[in-house]
Amino acid sequence: MSAQLTIKGLRKQFGGLVALNEIDLEFQAGELVGLIGPNGSGKTTLLNIIGGYYAPTAGTVHFEGHRINGLAPSRLARLGIGRSFQVTKVFQRLSVLENMQVSALTDWGISRREARSRALAILDDLNLTRLAEERAGRLSGGQAKLLEFGRIMMLEPKLVLLDEPFGGVHPELKRFMYDTIRAWNARGVTIILISHDMGSIFGLCRRVVTLSYGDIIADGDPEVVRSDPAVLEAYLGDHHAA
Amino acid sequence: MKTTRTGAIVGGGLVLAGLAVLPLTGIQSYWIYTLTIGFYYALLAASWSLLVGYVGRISFAQAAMSGLGAYTSALSLQHFGWPLPVSLLAGVVLAGFVGVFIGWLTLRLHGAYLGLTTIAFSEILRITVTAEHGLTAGSLGLRVPPLIQGGGPLTYYYLFLAVTVVCLALMLFLLQSRIGLFFQAIREDEDGAASLGVEVTTWKIMAFATSSAFAGLAGGLYAHFVQLITPSMMSLQEMGYVLAMAVIGGFHNVIYAALGGLLLQLGLEGLREVGEWRLVVFGLAAILVLRFAPNGLFGTIFGSFSRKGVRR
Repeated sequence: MSAQLTIKGLRKQFGGLVALNEIDLEFQAGELVGLIGPNGSGKTTLLNIIGGYYAPTAGTVHFEGHRINGLAPSRLARLGIGRSFQVTKVFQRLSVLENMQVSALTDWGISRREARSRALAILDDLNLTRLAEERAGRLSGGQAKLLEFGRIMMLEPKLVLLDEPFGGVHPELKRFMYDTIRAWNARGVTIILISHDMGSIFGLCRRVVTLSYGDIIADGDPEVVRSDPAVLEAYLGDHHAA
Repeated sequence: MKTTRTGAIVGGGLVLAGLAVLPLTGIQSYWIYTLTIGFYYALLAASWSLLVGYVGRISFAQAAMSGLGAYTSALSLQHFGWPLPVSLLAGVVLAGFVGVFIGWLTLRLHGAYLGLTTIAFSEILRITVTAEHGLTAGSLGLRVPPLIQGGGPLTYYYLFLAVTVVCLALMLFLLQSRIGLFFQAIREDEDGAASLGVEVTTWKIMAFATSSAFAGLAGGLYAHFVQLITPSMMSLQEMGYVLAMAVIGGFHNVIYAALGGLLLQLGLEGLREVGEWRLVVFGLAAILVLRFAPNGLFGTIFGSFSRKGVRR
């Protein structure tokens, strides 16, 4: 079976700093993959290249057989690639409902009424209906993260890139987010998840990719990756790995 | 948000009704003339607010765009003998195209860099018009045929009022549409908007074009009303007036910005006796409004009325 997302020889340099070093990765449709690594290992850079925010220095990214590196983020969103950001990018002065409708309305075939009813249905799933008319700037950090989830759901994505979605989120809300991610994945959506919360990564993902200084040092079953000496060394240093 | 919108519509409606009956109250024709100029500034301030308040793109070239519309209309009428509406339209179209160019040129610029680039562009236009003496009569001023042959102050007053209202309605229609939502999404966060499929580049350029086209229309009408235009209408001082009008009125809403234009034009005439000091007064007023009422005078007033209405 051909992969949904194929990354070949991906290299990204910022001046003299090599953020990603000849990365090769494949993701099958419907996978739920954790992307881990110490700070500065290149995780967010990788997501930014897949999402169209950075152009790679070398290498290619193919999505469903089409080369996508070099395409604008807006184009990728319409191809079905949704993403969340480390620091939420909700539209503070727009209402929650308006935030939700933006992506649907980029499709000129969808009426405002349709976009609104779809948005309300998703807000209901996310328990955010009572906040629909509220300004997004008034939401708590966790609610804003949920709203970002909702906005991505409005895209009806095939691939979702989640960058630290659980940062600063209340444990109860986090559990709700886990359920949402699992439900998404159960519908066949591919998910690549970055998180420093190892409990979330190992609890949710069936495959974990570990980056360190721009290189892939482990890729596979979470239990195997967890005990991989290279991973332990990257996180804890030589002493603990031994 | 809805309450503020309702406030804007109700307040705007009351002001419109007031303006429609004002000439019937026996007001001096001097003030009729002043208010007609006020409608020009209202349209200019609203067009600036469309770009700055809704898309978050700063520009100091609005007065220059108005001048471009004015000179294009006047010169095409004079040199090509086009009918007046076609000449006016030419000014609108050219200002729109130049807006596309500025929008494209400044796509990746933000804040001070964007502002400085638009100032430079504005000055290039003004200096070119001044220097091309043979074509534009430079600082001496270019004579422009009237908009309406034999039209009196009242005719111009109602025509400018009607055009301003129609243009504001068009702006509101655009801003209430999905395009308005894209504009605001871009203002809030460009990366966030792009991640949801919004064509940030296209809409930023379109916003510049639309805003410039409205400014071009305002300038064209103004030229055929005052019948003598000089490059000073493109000056940074004029731009300062427009900025103060939009800020004092409330630049996050095209209606408030337009009302600010009207209010300050009345203020400019009312305080004529204090000479240049009136500029100091308006500068201070703009600073105080930004500090204590960032939604502008009208935004604050109508917003508070709407909230009271909702509480009741």
